Amino acid sequence: MSRAKLESLDLKLPLYPTTSVGSFPKPDYLTKARAEFNRGKLSKDQLSELERKATQFWIAKQEELGIDVLVDGEMYRGDMVAYFAEKMPGFTQGGLVRSYGNRYYHKPIITSAVEWPGPLTVDWWKYAQSLTKKPVKGMLTGAYTIMDWSFNEFYPDRRATAMALAATIRKEVEALIAAGCRIVQIDEPALSVRSEELPIALEAMKKTTEGLKAYFITHACYGAFEEIYPGMLDLAVDNFDLEMSNSELDMLGLFKQSPFTKDISFGVVDVHSHVIEDPGAVRKRLENAARVIAKDNIWVDPDCGLKTRTVEEAIDKLRVCVAAATALRG
Amino acid sequence: MTSETAKKSSGLFLSHTGSYPRIGDSPELQTLRRSIAALDRGTGTLADLHAAEDDMTRRAISDQARAGVEWLTDGLIRWYDPVSHLAGKLEGVEIRGLLRFFDTNTYFRQPVVTARPTRRKPLLVEEYKFAHAALSHLPTPHANGTTRIKAVLTGPYTLAKCSLSENDATAKLETRAAAYAEALAAEIVDLAAAGVELIQVDEPAIVKYPSDWGIFEQAITPILRARDNAVSKPKLALYVYFRDCVPLYEKLTSLPFDIIGLDFTYNPALVDVVASKGSPRALGLGLLDGRNTRLEDPAVVAKQIERMLPKIQGGQAHLGPSSGLEYLPRDRAQGKLELLGRVRSAFLGMEA
Repeated sequence: MSRAKLESLDLKLPLYPTTSVGSFPKPDYLTKARAEFNRGKLSKDQLSELERKATQFWIAKQEELGIDVLVDGEMYRGDMVAYFAEKMPGFTQGGLVRSYGNRYYHKPIITSAVEWPGPLTVDWWKYAQSLTKKPVKGMLTGAYTIMDWSFNEFYPDRRATAMALAATIRKEVEALIAAGCRIVQIDEPALSVRSEELPIALEAMKKTTEGLKAYFITHACYGAFEEIYPGMLDLAVDNFDLEMSNSELDMLGLFKQSPFTKDISFGVVDVHSHVIEDPGAVRKRLENAARVIAKDNIWVDPDCGLKTRTVEEAIDKLRVCVAAATALRG
Repeated sequence: MTSETAKKSSGLFLSHTGSYPRIGDSPELQTLRRSIAALDRGTGTLADLHAAEDDMTRRAISDQARAGVEWLTDGLIRWYDPVSHLAGKLEGVEIRGLLRFFDTNTYFRQPVVTARPTRRKPLLVEEYKFAHAALSHLPTPHANGTTRIKAVLTGPYTLAKCSLSENDATAKLETRAAAYAEALAAEIVDLAAAGVELIQVDEPAIVKYPSDWGIFEQAITPILRARDNAVSKPKLALYVYFRDCVPLYEKLTSLPFDIIGLDFTYNPALVDVVASKGSPRALGLGLLDGRNTRLEDPAVVAKQIERMLPKIQGGQAHLGPSSGLEYLPRDRAQGKLELLGRVRSAFLGMEA
């Protein structure tokens, strides 16, 4: 079904297409530049120049590795929610809160009605796409996750907040499609957070993608999917990008009980470990996947964004993904 | 009536629920983050890390005392997360991949039980002693005898529910929970011996998985017994949060804990339930949302307390945030602590 959709969008991908979840590590020069920019010692133009240079590096690196569907690597982003919140009227930047371990982010606060200020990611997508003939994904964060990962001091409840955000994100999707983007990834890592709220997440995604001509992927990770499966399959996307390696493929058990009916971007390498996986072990993971899901529906990628790894580790992990996929194509 | 007498007559104590932000936005509040990063890079030492943890623990205690909180915690500043901090110190447990911690957007490292979890040494006693000493070194009037440190630990059922097992003997949830309970019971004995007067046992998992009630009841029995057998007779509080507490209200308040702490933010009807059914034991009133920055109206919260307190056994309640405050930016966490005092003032104004 989704292969047909890909072809209708003139996207001809091999068996086991390889991709990435979104973020890549920033090179040291960019990390330093961002710090200098924050201290007022670097101009926005100077920073943008370095962000373009880093984007160029990652596009070239993905091509060199043989990745099929590319990402821009998010060299210009910090946190996946804060990036949007910083640009959308209605949000105020909150102080730092912890995600896990020693990772912190500025959790936004909704203090008035949220609005779409015009394209938020389109210029970066255009730039990345201009560097390659391979398809580059448009990368957005979903309404439910932005709602869940923000404080709310304005809307009466969580559903109202999610719906207002869905209307806003839809406008960004429309702008990406208008620019020529054919694959849009709308990440919803908060999808399984409150199983009783799955209807809100489904409604928000439907409001975001319904009737729009693109192949939609959503990434979700580190959640209790057993609580929302198979209901989550009603999400209005074509492809679920799931972390399977970290959870030791235990979701395959769920898929055996109730068939997985969409395409899957199957996470095969752990993004929180320095250890580079053995290609044979990764290939075995994919063989296990293919026993439960039709191989036509399987994409291959890391569990999550690679931004927490070093540049070298990220490249090595991507190389393992490509090697495993290539070996299985025969 | 002096304000101190008024506090006592009202039976309404201010009590922090657990965690507190480890860092803040200003450079002097980033020492812990920097020292962890330096240790990871190999440029820092464990001594630097411990010094930063000590510093931020003192600051957490100071913030609570300044806000007029009577039952303080150490802010759980040293905890990587509420699960692995305890489970990871037990023999027979390995700490592995990340999982989301209930419905928060924070993560915990999942314990995997490879042999029966066994406690070889105290888990939290040194942390309690440090916090107790830190509180006593605060300038007066904070250390005037009305402020005390309570110990917080994650309960055996929640630890078991958040763990996996690779060991046949602990494959069943109830056997894992029993093993954790045995370890925590020993910890309660040691905490009591160290002088802890109130121990808060957090069991958020039971309100999420109410069908496990039988297993949960079995799991908490050893820790209740440990309290009963302790010479110093510490009080034991059970706190649940991150889910609607109404469905389990009567079962929870029937348990022989000294205090039952409840999260009021998921279902506003919980106030009606308490006001109509009453409680046979003291309650922890988690009326301030520990997960959202919006500051509650003190007058509204005071009215809720006014409806409930007369129906609570002994007229005793601990007012606090609905959960730990580490989910908020530091300035907003401070704001919530300060709000506790304003709520009590509004309540006492009504009571008078």
